[in-house]
Amino acid sequence: MASKYADLNPMLQPKSVAIIGASSNPDKVGHVIMQNYINVGYSGRLYPVNIKADGPILGFKSYKSVLDIKEKIDLAVIAVPAPVVPAVLDECGRAKVRTAVVVSGGFAEIGETALQNELAAVAHKYSMPVLGPNCLGVMDLKSRIDTLFLPTFKIDKPQIGGVSFVSQSGAVGSVVLDLISHEGFGLAKFISYGNAAVIDEADILNYLANDVDTKVIIFYLEGVKRGKEFIEVARKATLKKPVIIIKGGTTEEGSKAVHSHTASLAGSAEAYHAVFEQFGFIEAEDLDDLLYFAKIFDTQPLTTKNRIAVITNGGGIGVLATDALYHNSLRMAEMSKESERKLRKAMPPIVNVRLPLDLAGDADDKRFGIAIETLSEDPNVDAIMALVLFQTPGADSSVVAELIKYGTTGKKPLVVVSPGGSYTAAHKIMIESAGVPVYDSPNSAARSLAALISYSVYLENAAHSNGNKNNGQDKETH
Amino acid sequence: MGKLLEYMKAYYMLRRHGIRALDAKYVSSAADAIDFSSGKPIVLKAISEKALHKSKNGLVKLNLSTERDIRSAYADLESKARNLKPYKILAQRMVTNGLEIIVGGNTDPQFGKMVLLGLGGIYVETFKDFALRVCPITRYDAASMISQLRSHAIVAPDPATEKMIADLLLDVSNMLTKEHGISELDLNPVILHDGTYDAVDLRVIE
Repeated sequence: MASKYADLNPMLQPKSVAIIGASSNPDKVGHVIMQNYINVGYSGRLYPVNIKADGPILGFKSYKSVLDIKEKIDLAVIAVPAPVVPAVLDECGRAKVRTAVVVSGGFAEIGETALQNELAAVAHKYSMPVLGPNCLGVMDLKSRIDTLFLPTFKIDKPQIGGVSFVSQSGAVGSVVLDLISHEGFGLAKFISYGNAAVIDEADILNYLANDVDTKVIIFYLEGVKRGKEFIEVARKATLKKPVIIIKGGTTEEGSKAVHSHTASLAGSAEAYHAVFEQFGFIEAEDLDDLLYFAKIFDTQPLTTKNRIAVITNGGGIGVLATDALYHNSLRMAEMSKESERKLRKAMPPIVNVRLPLDLAGDADDKRFGIAIETLSEDPNVDAIMALVLFQTPGADSSVVAELIKYGTTGKKPLVVVSPGGSYTAAHKIMIESAGVPVYDSPNSAARSLAALISYSVYLENAAHSNGNKNNGQDKETH
Repeated sequence: MGKLLEYMKAYYMLRRHGIRALDAKYVSSAADAIDFSSGKPIVLKAISEKALHKSKNGLVKLNLSTERDIRSAYADLESKARNLKPYKILAQRMVTNGLEIIVGGNTDPQFGKMVLLGLGGIYVETFKDFALRVCPITRYDAASMISQLRSHAIVAPDPATEKMIADLLLDVSNMLTKEHGISELDLNPVILHDGTYDAVDLRVIE
């Protein structure tokens, strides 16, 4: 079994939560967490625990120890000083708490490895899935769970959706959450796992791969704890849903004596890139990619072919888009004779009927509609990139309606490129909320289409080689 | 860990896994080398643990086919290697023309055995054009390693060459996976010539 902890549901959808370290003092992390639970409208039972407690905390009856709570606890959120965490966790074990999130820092990340090992030993003693330490914890918008200790007024909260986000780092976690809130797609689950003393990358990936609410996974990774198990989990996970991954930090094994050319080339960072490529991950180069890729995978159908039809209401931007296609190993489609005939009939003489199709500066919803409809039925076109400049006189919310109409059919991928200011931004939100990704530049749209295609090709090949296992190599046995 | 496997042991290990390396044997005299050559071009190398850079120290003699050349090269190697004892002299067949690639293996601390393919010879360090995968690889992985190279049109200009390299990668992956004792491997270069390939220099590290 590659994954030690397959079921994290009690952690992400708990019916009862103990907040250990909860406090009436607004300066304490435990206070912010408790307040967040109240703010997001958590509907389960809430038990503040504090050894110094005398009287209610934020209106809830408090307990001196988790052992004093007579109810069954699904999740304990632990925000107490690091040295007492193992003892507190042991109490949770004795109280038969099902899962725990340790948000406290002060473990391996500052060299306190022995303390972290102690924590892990307690978790193993009770076979308890424990997240952290040194993490932001989890967020599940559907079950209104939010263990984050970030004050709600400082960070925007994403809407509910199908993208789950995993982050080793709390800092990257909170930044990306804040950014996601301004994207058209929504969040299913957020898991920040910090030092991974007990639950690690492989466990989380395995859980989300099987989670029905998660359609797309985005993953910020600094390193993996169990390489072989991670690969085993990844191999299955990437066949189930797209996993977009970004690797931060590259640590070289300084102590290892290098003897061969191969070893000097094949460093740790290269090994990660190789694993991502080989096992079907979609690798993002930066945080922008992470969001760009998430929105196309969340909404658009797959395609293994790369002939893109570019439609525009601005000639110059069409030229830039053509360059962007070829920089990303995509091609401009050539429309069929039938499409050509149809469009020539429908378009005014100023429109030159060839791809990229320049609908001219006065293009309105009618022109966009016919163009997209025709090209989405054209067998020579695999995907459409619509460059819509809202600065032009003809482009307004009626064009938006056409984009949504064709971009949500699920037949061929449609991406929209709309660079611009506040008028554009207002339209961008409409298009994205309806489920059509909008990009600020032709290049980011082309990168995203290329990522969609390369994942589709991976899936196709995986399906093909599964039906043809006889040329597989001998499996390594341990 | 970190010990270079003796050349002929490495040679036979590769052979056992179906990987072609240039014919080679240790020779104990010039006559022995002439016998091995039987008129075809050979290379003579003095091999000693005290000299890691054979070509830098003049310990490699290339393109020897006449008796005279072999005798004088052998004598020269013996005198140069005098203070590198113990040493051995290896005779190896020679391939003159062909494209050089590198095929290698490494052990990643996280992911275990990995196989590498790159444009070889002097280019590998400059262009760092290589592809890497975790062992064991599938035929699809082998094909995608080749197509991933920026130099793929040079390395595998036709389907036959592509298949030959893919087979080699599968064999190397298989060897790395099965031979638990080896941690690193350099076949650098492997020369592609006349519709076949030969590993010309071998480094297998235990």
